[in-house]
Amino acid sequence: MSTNNRKILNGYHVIFLTQSTMIGTGILSLPQRLSSLGYSQAFVPLLFGVIASISLLPMIWISSQYKNDNLFTINEKLLGKPFGKSVNLFIVVHFTLFLAGIISNYMHLIQTTALSEQSSTIPVFFLLLLLIYIVSGGIKSIARFCTITFFLTIPMLYFLRWAIEKGELSHLLPLFNFNGSQFLDALKKGYISVLGYELIMFYFPYIINQKKALKHSLIGLWISIILCFITTLVSVIYYSEWQLKNIEYSVLHLFKAGEFTFIERIDIIGITFWIFLILSSAATYLWSAKKGIDSLRAKKKNYHTYLITLAIFLFVVIPYSREYQDKLFKLSYQISYIMLAWPLLLAVVHSLKKKQVKQ
Amino acid sequence: MKFNKLKRTIKISDNEETTQSKSSDSNESSQAELFVNHPEADKTIEKIKNHTGRINDLIFKKIPTDEGIVTVIYTRSLVEKMALQVMIFVPLANHINQIHQVSEKLETTNFPEILNRLISGQTLLYFHHTNMLLCIDTYSAPTRSITNTETESTVIGPQDAFTESLETNISLVKRRIQNPSLKNEARTIGTETNTKISILFIEGIVNKDNLDKINQRIDKLHYPAFSDISILKQLIEDNPLSPFPQYYMTVRPDSVTNYLLDGRIAIFMDNSQAAIVCPTTFLEMFISVEDYYNRWTTASLLRMLRFFGFFLTIMITPMYVSALTFHPEILPYELLLNLQESRSKVPFPPLIEVLFLELIIEVLREAGSRMPAKVGQTIGIVGGIVIGTAAVEAGLISNILVVLVATSALLSFLPPIFLMSNTSRFVRYIFILSAGLFGLYGQMLAFAWLISHLLNLNSLGTPFMSPVIPRKAADLMDSIIRFPIAFLKGKKGISNSKKK
Repeated sequence: MSTNNRKILNGYHVIFLTQSTMIGTGILSLPQRLSSLGYSQAFVPLLFGVIASISLLPMIWISSQYKNDNLFTINEKLLGKPFGKSVNLFIVVHFTLFLAGIISNYMHLIQTTALSEQSSTIPVFFLLLLLIYIVSGGIKSIARFCTITFFLTIPMLYFLRWAIEKGELSHLLPLFNFNGSQFLDALKKGYISVLGYELIMFYFPYIINQKKALKHSLIGLWISIILCFITTLVSVIYYSEWQLKNIEYSVLHLFKAGEFTFIERIDIIGITFWIFLILSSAATYLWSAKKGIDSLRAKKKNYHTYLITLAIFLFVVIPYSREYQDKLFKLSYQISYIMLAWPLLLAVVHSLKKKQVKQ
Repeated sequence: MKFNKLKRTIKISDNEETTQSKSSDSNESSQAELFVNHPEADKTIEKIKNHTGRINDLIFKKIPTDEGIVTVIYTRSLVEKMALQVMIFVPLANHINQIHQVSEKLETTNFPEILNRLISGQTLLYFHHTNMLLCIDTYSAPTRSITNTETESTVIGPQDAFTESLETNISLVKRRIQNPSLKNEARTIGTETNTKISILFIEGIVNKDNLDKINQRIDKLHYPAFSDISILKQLIEDNPLSPFPQYYMTVRPDSVTNYLLDGRIAIFMDNSQAAIVCPTTFLEMFISVEDYYNRWTTASLLRMLRFFGFFLTIMITPMYVSALTFHPEILPYELLLNLQESRSKVPFPPLIEVLFLELIIEVLREAGSRMPAKVGQTIGIVGGIVIGTAAVEAGLISNILVVLVATSALLSFLPPIFLMSNTSRFVRYIFILSAGLFGLYGQMLAFAWLISHLLNLNSLGTPFMSPVIPRKAADLMDSIIRFPIAFLKGKKGISNSKKK
């Protein structure tokens, strides 16, 4: 089944889809995840950016070979129907888990700060309802939501001002004071924060100017990388090494450095406002997962979205132990790394198949 | 008009008029008797009378002329006496040729057509001698004169507003754009009311796809009655279920002119004061035409006030609810103390307190707009005092909340489009309830809903929130900040105009 041939995403849409999908809850805990590098973590996001840019190349390449197909269809075409479909099912399950991870993380955060006296069941329910509403508008409407999210949330950078004023600039030096294993550890834990750009393999067929897709997604990717860079930079300036290691959502506490006469806990506003970032990245994932079920069942039905959302709801709400939940979500994070390498495998299969045809 | 040249005068006072079935007069002139009536004549008149049945203000008047007896048939409520005198009776008496030159011939047996002509204000002339039916447009229903606008008044700029007459409204626009490219397509809608509408656009500037779209939507209409253009608007809007108006509605001719020149389409309806302009954007709901008459600095300031005022009015009172119900720690100690002190006597939780006061304001507003003007003032003052002082002293509400609710009520009246200020009031309740449920989290959830809803809306197929990113310089120059007039030459992105 090939996806709809209507091209609807322009350059701006691609930029902000890439950008907003990358920024979610990950960035909030990025400094802690990178804490094995100590103060030297400040510039690591830039390295991540380089890695991400390189891993983006095979994704765009394989997508541009099949201009009207998303990854699900490409899988079926290259790997054969049975194997392709089982891979697709795997991806859908992975996305569902990943989404559950994002939402559960965020709700956990909301419960610790804003809604400490309520259970999270009903808030999660409403969040998912809203998510369905956004996704039902289609990828273009998601892209527009991402765009507006960027412009709404970017003023939050201003609140870093006080952290810089109160911090210690000398924390930034020396620049690269870590060894290989420390870096790999940070990479494993922290790279999750910049994931999201791989979804271009799913919305690529909808892009109008596919030749410039690489450029546009790179712009989006680097906007996010620079935002991550700013956060780690300011965190390093503001916090001590011990704090970096032990404060879970250190970025949230950066807001608290601000002093106003009329407002005390600005972080509560910050974290509730973060819902835009959560929704924008979750919507893109949910849309991709829905496309997955569409391709599995070879039918386009709205209730596919509801099915996935129901699964997410159950994952988040069912009261099994937090350790087990974390394990599950961690597993899905690690699968994400496979997703990054997946296009490489597909590229190899693709070129082998081409050779076969030529022979 | 040379009344003094009349050879014969014809009195047409109501007393003398023969309504329905009065027989022919005895004072027919001898000249007329020279003509022999057509054998079908009496039957035809009888048949018309039968078909027109119980329409009581239909007048049948027999007049002797140089061409024999002529029965003049018209609807009294749709034709002014003066028009009748000048266009029918004087020519009939003196220059009957004129009648033949300006009239249109009708089939004497086509009764539905005859009836249609009569109820649309035309006058029929039946010549008994030749069995001929002529028709002249004498529609001259009473209209009110052009007055100031009460709903969209401005300090600077033209003060005239549309009236309920289609012709007057079109003339108000046409005298502002004296350009042959300004077209108005007439159509009739309403299966029962046969209401006249007119679609105005400037050829060469308007986007033809937009025009086709609006025509298709009007074609598909099967609605019996249109008492106001807002009914038409709700029927042809892209999303009729949304709380947001997706087309601009205005009673100001200068505003319509501006939009027409930008490549939009304006729709006018007979018997309706406002005009629809489409497509429009969300931002344009906050643009008053006065912005172009003010200095650009003042205009920009006012626009920002209106635009951000919309978001403030839906956020202020919900903020109070969520801060006091869920996150008291958000407020600094002194402010919290102050708030708690003012709330110390209040028995209700913040949500009920806010809803209570908001509803009282709604009641005051609604009562104020329904009451006779003289009573309204008094009741307004009494209501204000009751809420402002007595309710606080009675310990029903906190005085800080009075300030917040009053501010947000005032802010809700900032948008120049009244429908938009109604919408802001409705949306505020969604925000208050969600703040009552989940505090700030609920508020942000509602805000995200609002944004995604607005992003999903279309106005005539064009995104209502466009431009999220300004695509054209013109979009940027005339947005929240109004650049100096010299910069505002380009057509906006939403018009999709071919002309730059």
